[in-house]
Amino acid sequence: MTSSSSPSRKALSKIACNRLQKELAEWQVSPPSGFKYRVSDNLQRWVIEVTGAAGTLYAGETYQLQVDFPEHYPMEAPQVIFLNPAPMHPHIYSNGHICLDILYDSWSPAMTVSSVCISILSMLSSSPAKQRPQDNDRYVRNCRNGRSPKETRWWFHDDKV
Amino acid sequence: MAAAAEAEEEVRQEVEAVASVYGDDCRVVRGFPPHLVVHVRPHTADDSSQQFVELFLGIKASSQYPKAPPHVYAVESKGLDENRQVYLISSIQNKARELSCYPMLVTLCEEAVEMLSNMNHPAGDCPLCLYPLVKENDGSALPFMKLMSCYHCFHSDCIMRWWEWLQNDDTDSKKSSTAATTEVIHASEGLDLSSSAKHHNVSQHKGLCPVCRKVFDEKDIEHVRDLLGANTSQLASLSIDLDEDEKEVLHSESEKIRQEKFASLFNLQQERNGLIEPKKDLSIQPGMYIPRPPSAPTASEGDTVDDSSEDTTTSTSGTEPLNQTNSTGGTTKHNSSSGHRRRHRSHASRRQPHGQGQPARQQWQRKGGDTSHQ
Repeated sequence: MTSSSSPSRKALSKIACNRLQKELAEWQVSPPSGFKYRVSDNLQRWVIEVTGAAGTLYAGETYQLQVDFPEHYPMEAPQVIFLNPAPMHPHIYSNGHICLDILYDSWSPAMTVSSVCISILSMLSSSPAKQRPQDNDRYVRNCRNGRSPKETRWWFHDDKV
Repeated sequence: MAAAAEAEEEVRQEVEAVASVYGDDCRVVRGFPPHLVVHVRPHTADDSSQQFVELFLGIKASSQYPKAPPHVYAVESKGLDENRQVYLISSIQNKARELSCYPMLVTLCEEAVEMLSNMNHPAGDCPLCLYPLVKENDGSALPFMKLMSCYHCFHSDCIMRWWEWLQNDDTDSKKSSTAATTEVIHASEGLDLSSSAKHHNVSQHKGLCPVCRKVFDEKDIEHVRDLLGANTSQLASLSIDLDEDEKEVLHSESEKIRQEKFASLFNLQQERNGLIEPKKDLSIQPGMYIPRPPSAPTASEGDTVDDSSEDTTTSTSGTEPLNQTNSTGGTTKHNSSSGHRRRHRSHASRRQPHGQGQPARQQWQRKGGDTSHQ
């Protein structure tokens, strides 16, 4: 359901490993508020709990983000999806895929897990309504073979939410 | 009334004084009450490569000036993180309060120059690897560079690795039209040209700063390449994404051209003894034996051969350094197996274009003839 079976991934490069260890160490010193890293010994897959910010549609609700890192992180963007159940949001598909430009075309290696998390929370917080994207069913059907959202050709048209 | 006019005249003269001291760096928004924007730089003896911070300082006074101190603010700054900028502005504002009743415009600007000179070092971590640019205790560090357009600093190795990644990615996305990201944009006039032309002209590229996405000139990167002379380590990192399925990229026209460009650059560097051996994956421990790479004989040999046999020299010395890196990799195999594998692959792949023999070499010559990248 959550396409957690990502295609046979390659191990992290040495550079990616160093960078992730550094990110994790910094996360442990000052985690972004609203997020909790679920401890695991798998550096290549982080599971992060998100709690909706107070005063927003998702206040008090908790969701789980799964972040998978490619061999050449941070040159390549990580794959970030919500685990089931994904929050109802106009840019979040029911299979957990997130339509957010920085995860795909606008990724920059200067971004971190922490900055991505903050962007996602801000996207949640500015949601006007709890609803699925208009093309949810079609999109999710097309992804049934466990396709990664990184293989999707995304259109980013809405910069308000 | 006369006194007021006189006071205004004095203030106007003071503004003129600032304008004449700072010349083009001073923009007078309004003569009276004074409103100036002054481009303030640290003392670096006009060496822009040594400049890591700068500030456009706004000074806006009321008609009560100089009795009432002017408002001081940052219009724009480069290289200053928020803390340092806040500190700088509040210090100058305090100075303005201290100097109430006196003409102070030039003094405030000078104060800003002094403070900037003390702050003239890059702060924080490399945005790419997240390790410090400059180590605070001993001042030692990996070499770093700065983008001239935004003053964001990076370890030289880190930015080069990213740049090579983009170049590869760009080639890649041209072959298969996946939604691959390239943060490389074409210079506007070169847009049609470079997409239609067979020769993928790298020099028409500009990049976007990974931090602020401001456009920077490729010259910034070329400069680092020259400084590092790090073609050997580049060759290693070039092939970081080399897979079975990506091998076809390596056989593509543009990739060949690019590799040949590197090979020729490499030879040039080698001739000038400008090569620094890669040290990235090599952790030196006490008592460890590091073999001296046998590069010198080849280089001198290359100097003595005549023009007619030059292309053979090119192809041999093109593969030579990879053998070296490979042997270095062998010594460190136990502590970086992935690094070794990567080098090994790069070795195998880099040989392919040369391995094709005659056609590849001819192409190198042709390329060298009609374009002058160096």
